[in-house]
Amino acid sequence: MNMIQSIIFLIASMVAISGFYIQGIEFIIANIRGQSIQSILIASLSFIMGFLERSLDLIILGIMVVILRVILINYFLERTIPKKRKFSVEKYLSVPYLLIVDLIFIVLSVILIYKFVFSSMILRESIAPSNILVFPLITFFQGMFLIASRKSTHTQIIGYVEEENAMILFGIFLLPIPLIIEASIFLDVLALVVISSIIVLEKNEHNPVEDLIG
Amino acid sequence: MEETLLLETISQVLFTLLMAPLFSGIMVKLKANVESRKGPSIFQPYFDLIKLFKKEILIPSTSGIFFKIGPYLSFSIYLFISFLIPVLIPTPVIFTASADFLGGALLFSTASFIKVLAAFDSGSNYAKLGASRIMSFNFLAEGTLITVFFAVSILTGTNNPYTTIELLTSNPLSDLSLLHLFSLIAFFMLFLFETGKIPLESKGVQELGMIDSSLNFEYSGKLLALNEWGSYMKQYLLGSVLLNVFLFPWGLFSGVPFFLIDIPIMFLKWMILIIIITVIETSLAKLRLFRIIDYLTVAFTFSVLFLILTEVISV
Amino acid sequence: MIFNNTALPILILLVPAVASITFKWGNIKLATAISGIIEIFLSLLLYIDKPAPGVFFIDNISVLFIFMVTSIYFFSSLYSIKYFSQHDIYISDDLYFLLLNLFTISMLFTLEINNFGLMWVGIESTTISSALLIITERNETSLEAAWRYIIIVSAGVTFAFISIILIYYVTGTLTMSTIINSSFKSKFLILAVAISLMGFGTKSGVFPVHTWLPDAHSEAPSPVSAMFSGVLLPVALYVIYRIYEIYPLKTVYVWIATLSIVMAAIFLIYQDKYKRMFAYSTMENMNIALIGFALGGPGIVGALILLLSHSFSKAGAFYSSGNILRLTKSKKIDDVNGLYKNSPITAIALLFSSFGASGIPPFGSFFGEIIIFFSLYQQHFLVPFILVIISVISVFISINFNVTKMTFENGKNNSKIDRTMEIIALISSIVPLAIGGYILILMGGLV
Repeated sequence: MNMIQSIIFLIASMVAISGFYIQGIEFIIANIRGQSIQSILIASLSFIMGFLERSLDLIILGIMVVILRVILINYFLERTIPKKRKFSVEKYLSVPYLLIVDLIFIVLSVILIYKFVFSSMILRESIAPSNILVFPLITFFQGMFLIASRKSTHTQIIGYVEEENAMILFGIFLLPIPLIIEASIFLDVLALVVISSIIVLEKNEHNPVEDLIG
Repeated sequence: MEETLLLETISQVLFTLLMAPLFSGIMVKLKANVESRKGPSIFQPYFDLIKLFKKEILIPSTSGIFFKIGPYLSFSIYLFISFLIPVLIPTPVIFTASADFLGGALLFSTASFIKVLAAFDSGSNYAKLGASRIMSFNFLAEGTLITVFFAVSILTGTNNPYTTIELLTSNPLSDLSLLHLFSLIAFFMLFLFETGKIPLESKGVQELGMIDSSLNFEYSGKLLALNEWGSYMKQYLLGSVLLNVFLFPWGLFSGVPFFLIDIPIMFLKWMILIIIITVIETSLAKLRLFRIIDYLTVAFTFSVLFLILTEVISV
Repeated sequence: MIFNNTALPILILLVPAVASITFKWGNIKLATAISGIIEIFLSLLLYIDKPAPGVFFIDNISVLFIFMVTSIYFFSSLYSIKYFSQHDIYISDDLYFLLLNLFTISMLFTLEINNFGLMWVGIESTTISSALLIITERNETSLEAAWRYIIIVSAGVTFAFISIILIYYVTGTLTMSTIINSSFKSKFLILAVAISLMGFGTKSGVFPVHTWLPDAHSEAPSPVSAMFSGVLLPVALYVIYRIYEIYPLKTVYVWIATLSIVMAAIFLIYQDKYKRMFAYSTMENMNIALIGFALGGPGIVGALILLLSHSFSKAGAFYSSGNILRLTKSKKIDDVNGLYKNSPITAIALLFSSFGASGIPPFGSFFGEIIIFFSLYQQHFLVPFILVIISVISVFISINFNVTKMTFENGKNNSKIDRTMEIIALISSIVPLAIGGYILILMGGLV
């Protein structure tokens, strides 16, 4: 691969690694910032590919990612954390155990799925080697694991946004999705986050509830 | 030809043996200068070793036989490793074929295990404290060590450390892959742990931060000298692997009389490493003890993740 | 006829929107009820005057679904006006009706549009608009149930987005009519169809991603639960069916649906709250309809009959549950006794609804289920056939045992509820009887 391809590959891998960062951190505010780092990386990837392919769609996509994901979602989520407890931490969390279980989960699910399913997909032209698809897949499963392993509402919202990020990345690499669909996806996620921020004000932790068993 | 090989071997082993304390001394002096102190002279480790060799050996009454033979064993293992890894000469020397990367990693583990066993055998409380601390962190450290070495092997398709250098130097820069980069980060984090630098361990008389140095607590005289020399050599060996295989594989020559140029070149490379380490040591605070396992988990995750990714995506 | 071809579907979408504009002026309840009636009329008109495939894609199946959505929308809006009249709720009355309208618009949008990507967007927007409806009566458990609903369904539907991307990758277009009419063969399409079962099946009650179903249904207020069971799940089923048509994976679909039915039957045995019981019965019915869609041919007809009668019965069941909740203030089956003595209309409505939901003749769902079982047997799926019949019988016994326990034992209740609510529940539960009677007459005319 030449220089541009290596850079694209590197940025895509940083997206996957920021998923691990979000998994391993305890402070809730750091989770939110980690997600915005991920979105900035995705936006930069979209800009680079937009310049390479001379496609206006991708550049607009990048701008929309920055506005919607980085600025607005951060604003809504940070508003729900009270000022005094800016450094609040999730209780009863053990980072190494979760990181290792996460590692096993990623290795088993992503590697198996990638090997048997996606390895025969060919990306358009020579933007990046075809095996770059493993990074959105890793990010997607990271999001799922984040939701499953945490009890706090903020972190579960971040896990969901991470899944949507993975979808966007997938779409950017695989084929140019029509702009209307991308736009609607963004607005969906935004609306979801707004609604979730309402719920988050009420309920911060989720433990098994007696009434809802069975 | 034979004499060349012999000369190269001898120079590599002697360099490891004799120069390892020097690098440690330079590190301490540089750190002291940065902290606006004058610091000890760079030859201080040599003076310490000579002094220790002259002193008498005191052995606790509760210790067993392993306490006495432990230092000899670990010292000889470190000496043996210096044959295997390209710490000075980039082409294979005598005895190289005895063990490859995996063997080297296993030998490192054996040496530290022997040290821990010997400390345990001494029957003293502080030594047991250090032993239990080391053992609780070692499982991740050993895992990282082995996987990092394997990562490099997969990159270059060979398990021989010397051939790895050749292959790495013959590829242009833009071919340095992602795997290389992230294995480098993982190995650097591991290097900081194994050689006991801040942010993981603080040397000196503070027991709160002791991990490695507490193993030496009950030793005195010749045995202590061998232990200390062994740790200087371990630091040199690991750092040289970091430099020669991961960071700057270029610049080493072989063949008479070119191999003599290797000595100043290694000095130069080590200077760079020492500067990096000093910057890290003087700007970070020591991690609390239970945080060390988080640190090691991150290193482990990096190395395993990228090892397996390489296998899958064949980059 | 009177209208231009594409004007009719657009009009169907616009009417609730117009009704929700009156949000500001305070009489949104009346506007919603009126829009409900107009919508039913428009959907009947749509049956006569379908537009050609273009932006919208309407065929007989879509018209049936649209009719279902509009009818239950009308019933629920009427019922909601009365249900909340004496009680204080967390979100304001007007906001509730606004969300109800948006919910209906997004469901109708999903049913009408001719583009897979926009169908996905429609399903996501149903999640958004219905999420706040669950926490209408604000307490800890309903917040937890609403949160589970949001997260599980959103995660699942995001997973289904992968299948949409794959479809676009293989066929180069997302327009539903072109994809279904041509035939593509690719292993990625197989993957897409399988992923969409699990992805959209989250919203439709497929095991093992159905876990939000009983929680959301038991915690939401009754008119909202009626809309969930009656129309939201069938709309998700519609999307699954459209994607299934691209590459029919018959065995996979039949087996997974059978597994879900068996699981629903097992879970139903343990229930001690009546709303959760009805929720699991919904799950079972949805999966029987899924089998019908997967089998094709007469199976599709059976599935449509089942879905139509089930939506009315289940809506009736949830309306009756709402009445019972207002009467006895308890959600457990054991606390409800002697309905027959105290409020006979509610008792009859409850009985008829549960008969309709569990598939007793002559209710319409019985005929639908029979057709599906017959196709199952005909296409040599013998093990699923036996499993499904055993599960259906077990569900039948469980539901009716509980319902008769609630209706006929001795007990006393003193509260009174509004007549209108009871009558709506009764009407809603009788419609399947009418459907079943109609089918009987048809069959009698044939024989």
